[in-house]
Amino acid sequence: MRTLVAIVVAQALGLAAMASPAVYAAEVTDNAKIAELKQQLAEITEELESLNSRVNKTERHAALDRITFTGDFRVRAHSLHYQDVTWNPAILMNFSDFGARAMAGEYGDPANVNSPLGKMMAANPALATAFQSGQLSGIMPYVLAAKSRQDIDNDIYYNTRLRLNMKAQVWDNVDFAGRLSMYKNWGDSTGVQVFDSWRAFTMDGTDSSNTSGDWLRVERAYFDWRNIGGSEFYLSIGRRPSTYGPPSHYRENELRGGTPSGHLVNFNFDGMTIGYKLGELTGVEGQVVRFCYGQGFESQWGNGELFGDTITKDTHLGGFNIDAINDGNHFLQFTLFAAKDINDGFKGTMAFPNQLASIFAPTMYQDLQKFDNFNFVTRVQPSGVIGDMYLGGVGYSYETDDEMKFFASFGWTRTVGNGYAGMFGGLLSDAVFTAELNNDGSEIIMSPSTADSNENHDGYGIYVGMQIPAPYGKFGLEYNYGSKYWTPFTQAQDDPIGSKLATRGHVVEGYYIFDVNPHMFIKLAGLYYDYEYTGSGTPVGAPQKVSDVLNGTAYSLLPVIDTAFDVNASLTVNF
Amino acid sequence: MMKTTIQLGVLLLATVLAAGANAADGGNPKKGKHLYKKECKVCHSKSDAAGELTPMSKTMAQWDRFFDKDKHKAKPEVFQKLSEQDLKDIQQFLYDHAADSAQPQTCG
Repeated sequence: MRTLVAIVVAQALGLAAMASPAVYAAEVTDNAKIAELKQQLAEITEELESLNSRVNKTERHAALDRITFTGDFRVRAHSLHYQDVTWNPAILMNFSDFGARAMAGEYGDPANVNSPLGKMMAANPALATAFQSGQLSGIMPYVLAAKSRQDIDNDIYYNTRLRLNMKAQVWDNVDFAGRLSMYKNWGDSTGVQVFDSWRAFTMDGTDSSNTSGDWLRVERAYFDWRNIGGSEFYLSIGRRPSTYGPPSHYRENELRGGTPSGHLVNFNFDGMTIGYKLGELTGVEGQVVRFCYGQGFESQWGNGELFGDTITKDTHLGGFNIDAINDGNHFLQFTLFAAKDINDGFKGTMAFPNQLASIFAPTMYQDLQKFDNFNFVTRVQPSGVIGDMYLGGVGYSYETDDEMKFFASFGWTRTVGNGYAGMFGGLLSDAVFTAELNNDGSEIIMSPSTADSNENHDGYGIYVGMQIPAPYGKFGLEYNYGSKYWTPFTQAQDDPIGSKLATRGHVVEGYYIFDVNPHMFIKLAGLYYDYEYTGSGTPVGAPQKVSDVLNGTAYSLLPVIDTAFDVNASLTVNF
Repeated sequence: MMKTTIQLGVLLLATVLAAGANAADGGNPKKGKHLYKKECKVCHSKSDAAGELTPMSKTMAQWDRFFDKDKHKAKPEVFQKLSEQDLKDIQQFLYDHAADSAQPQTCG
């Protein structure tokens, strides 16, 4: 603008200098031009003053506007169908121990119907007969209810997800980033689900991607301190960007949504990362080495019974996350993590299923029957440490210049059990229960005493897929497989049937994305799950072959899904 | 109900087709990245006299203005030697990775 004024003034002066008495006719014209130029100059000056006052306002606004908000909003309609959902509950019981204690008189006189043993035999006549005829010895299943089997169709299920991304520049090399998330079912804001699977459990690691009502949760919040002391080191601490990592972001139709491999980790973690941008030394674009550390469980704060009886331990995680190359065409990532002191669950809230009350809490069940549609909401905490875990993997994605994308990922998990088990089992092992008297000696209760195995278990998973340009958008096809002991930390994947990448079995997904405009898309998708083993998405309990549960030769305290499919349509806007 | 879902999907699809959704404006960002590295970073890397430039140096609108109006006024021959398609590709890359564009969400 200043340049423009200078030119106008220079032109005015130049024209003035050219004027001479010898050219009188021209002088009149020049005077008119000068007058016109003066007028223009006045207008420009006025415009400048107006611009100045406007720029002052925007400058002030920019200075005070410390945080930038962006976001996305997704509405999704699902049609969910489950086949052969089987509930065949039993616990492993040490009948030899039970027999020895019964013979020693520990449970009272079996002939006395008012003794603990008499009451138990009256309540379970078939079991009493089998036991007395010597059919039950050693460790055997103690069947808790008759097997049931059903197909479930949820023809239409809507949900809405709102995510608000926050960004702020603290200093030249320090940024803050965060994300607030709301994910809810239509017509539901209870925030607590009836516990029918480990997915239906509101807890820290999954509450941003498990439908939990109409409130915003802090899914992530962390700072990045880059180029520390002029080096290529950076430090980041907070609630980590540990969800929607590669290559699971392709199906989300978004850029890389998190740091770690989405095949191994899709879970809210609190922790820190120390990274080094190795690419600046090696010349390999996007090469970053990171050491990540976090705490997945706080054992003491809030867990003690009047400051005592805390027998869990803090769960600490640490490991390396290496982007070997990330140049826009090739992406190669290596992951190796260890989780020390895994407990047999998490702190969380659930609505207690009444069917479990009928099995494990018959006295309470007497009253619960009067409130058939009531479930009591309870805070749950784990009961003890079940062992350690290791996760590793390698993932590769290739994107052509014409936006064709192909990826393959291999994951490995190892569990190292310690022999301890809670109610639902130990580390990929089942609990062996023993019969004990309650505190006042009036009733026999079943208590988990040990795990049926403390062996190490290796699991592996593969995840392959592609996304190619198609008329009006993109077409994608994905397949993943998890073995019997496959146990990744991907429970925060927001698939309603359950994290597809945690599946012990096969999942096929096909989708078509219609790009309405650069900030809005419609996605039509279909997922088919074929579960081979039980317990997908949890390290607790021994995986059982689904076909064995279906034919009644294996048991599970929670319902088991054989196959399921999810057909869904979603509309997403980014703003 | 399943039928309703399918009908809903067909209706949405029809809407999209009617709208003629098309986000592309002729630039290939992947090719643009290669060209940017080859043509731009030569003079615009760290400690260069011309000053470091990355896609994050400008907003999406600022990049569009730069390509539509400024056309590298400081050194016009730089743009003149590139084909129209090359310039479109570079513009698309810079636009897609501008300061106010969607960014990968990682801790670095």
